[in-house]
Amino acid sequence: MTAVLPWVTLVVCLAITIARIPSLIQGENRVVFYIFALITLDILLSIEGPYLAIDALLGGINVTNLILRFLLYGTFLLMGIKIAMGFGSQSAVRAIRGPWGLTVLGFTVALTIFFFVITDTRGSTVGMTGLTWGPSMEAYAALGRFYPGYVSACLLPAIWRTIVGRYPVLLRGASALLFVGLALLLISQLFPLIPLVHLWLRSLINYSAVLATAIGLAGIWFSKAYSRRKRRLSA
Amino acid sequence: MPLQSKAFQRWLHGVAPDASTADVCRIAGIKRTTLAQQLVRGKVAESTLVSISRGFHVSPVEALSTFDLYSELRGAPVPPTGCELVSQIATIDLLRAVVDRSEPGSAPAGHLSEPPHPTSVRNWVDAIDDGELRHRVSDTTGIAPQNFSAHLTANRLPPELAIATSRAAGVGPAGGLVAGGLITEAEAGWPPNARQEALDKMSQSELVTLAGERLLALGKTLRRQEQDHERTERIWENLG
Repeated sequence: MTAVLPWVTLVVCLAITIARIPSLIQGENRVVFYIFALITLDILLSIEGPYLAIDALLGGINVTNLILRFLLYGTFLLMGIKIAMGFGSQSAVRAIRGPWGLTVLGFTVALTIFFFVITDTRGSTVGMTGLTWGPSMEAYAALGRFYPGYVSACLLPAIWRTIVGRYPVLLRGASALLFVGLALLLISQLFPLIPLVHLWLRSLINYSAVLATAIGLAGIWFSKAYSRRKRRLSA
Repeated sequence: MPLQSKAFQRWLHGVAPDASTADVCRIAGIKRTTLAQQLVRGKVAESTLVSISRGFHVSPVEALSTFDLYSELRGAPVPPTGCELVSQIATIDLLRAVVDRSEPGSAPAGHLSEPPHPTSVRNWVDAIDDGELRHRVSDTTGIAPQNFSAHLTANRLPPELAIATSRAAGVGPAGGLVAGGLITEAEAGWPPNARQEALDKMSQSELVTLAGERLLALGKTLRRQEQDHERTERIWENLG
């Protein structure tokens, strides 16, 4: 099942991205398209075939993984700002886009590069699982989980208030999915506690998180379209 | 708890001994599946009983009163109190009355609209509340105060709760059923002009004060709705 899950996630994200193209052309909320496009790209680079092909072009020292980290940070920065603004949490907007949030991001990026450089990363493998894992490798991996977790932690309270508040049912359901996805990213901070023999559990949590987040975001879009349609029909 | 289906079927046999279920549903204007479902579950909604009574020209109050739960409805109807009557006048009708008294003849005096109006339930409970009513209702029925409040906010009053509330307030048993929209004021035995007369009896100051209270409450509700709407729109604007 864990072999199918990445592809399912990729297809779902790609489908949502394609579905956003009309809105992109009409200039309606372009950032949402970019978010979905980024998520799709993130997933593509997490799958073995595409990863190895691209990394071969870049010298076979897993630079692709570093690029993937940066893409992920960008995805979460963009998504975090949009969600925080949408769900009306000023404190979350500040914690992500404010001086403090950008400092956190800056440090994460700098440390990510640092640990990548001091680690021997020769030998292209997806997720760098084929390499010998020393402390610097652990730190590099932890940083990659840290920033998404940080953004998620900033967003969860505001999303929770929407789930339990007086909002349209579809919107609340979509928010609940988004909540689950981001909460899984928080849980993923505990990955070092999962024994290596249960590596499938890590990938199950990761891809479930992406799926829930993407479908949740698309659900918010759907709830809007549904409500507009209902209003048009009743008018 | 709605009506037991056994007792309901006994009653239905008394009202329409020869009618098939399909006939009953057609005459009462209810869905067959709805009735079937309620019968299977063993609990028939009071509103179903009321629809069927109307279809067969039986008084809904008398029909209800044949069930033990609603035995208080038996006998001559208890006349509503003045407060109850006024509580069932729609806010917009109250405002018309205010205008009409200040500048007679300037506003066309129409008929008062029939209850229930959008805040009937809360207005009725407020009208009969001596300050301790909600406590007494939750003591006798076991309903949590916040659930009772939720009913008021949603302008809903389950018939059984309506009966319990009127009992706890010492008013006639049918008032809550009118406020909750189960039966009409005529079916409850309220005289046709009773609300208008109660309104006419109010002094200028009473009328204006009441209208003011209603407007204040309406303003709060509208503000909450507008805030909810704004928050929803903001989410959609950013992420939709």
